Amino acid sequence: MRTYELVFVVDPRVSDEDVVTLTQEYKQMISAGGSEIVTEENWGRRKLAYPINKLSEGKYVFLGITSGGGKTSLPEVEHRMRQNDKILRYLTVRTDEDLKRAARRKQASPAGADAERADSAADHDHDLDTEEEV
Amino acid sequence: MGRPRKVFFRRRKVCKFCADKIDYIDYKDVKLLQQFIPERSKILPRRISGTCATHQRPLQQAIKRARHLALIPFTTD
Repeated sequence: MRTYELVFVVDPRVSDEDVVTLTQEYKQMISAGGSEIVTEENWGRRKLAYPINKLSEGKYVFLGITSGGGKTSLPEVEHRMRQNDKILRYLTVRTDEDLKRAARRKQASPAGADAERADSAADHDHDLDTEEEV
Repeated sequence: MGRPRKVFFRRRKVCKFCADKIDYIDYKDVKLLQQFIPERSKILPRRISGTCATHQRPLQQAIKRARHLALIPFTTD
């Protein structure tokens, strides 16, 4: 199973209702492509770190998506966003592989990581000793 | 009689992500990423931050994603 994250930034002059309808439209496209929307977050108006199209703010929308693998409609959704000039930025990221890797590391780490930390603590003591000699 | 050898005391740098056990570096976590972008908004090199290679790579990726979404700046003027 694949998971994706889709974030897009809308022109702040677009009203909140229109942002909702726009989001609805994209969600429909995604579900029509056989994927499922797991989370939907509206981050609201946020200040942009740098101006985009001379705008200093943007409305952020976040969608968490899962798909059973195979074809999704995400390329089409991206295409639509590219053509819509009310969308300042969009980003689609596939997250399942990285999350899986992170989970594996978490499982593997406990014993090893603690031992390593004890080591570095010992080294630190040693460093202090040498300093005193000076 | 030799010259007294200078002994430098340098604090040992530890990878923040190993120490805090952060396994997945999220591009949405602006607060975390900001610790690795100093004044000029450049990505802090490993040699300064002490981040291990395993974590610097995803960190770099996360910063670039966050930049694209204007969550963090490319430069400060």
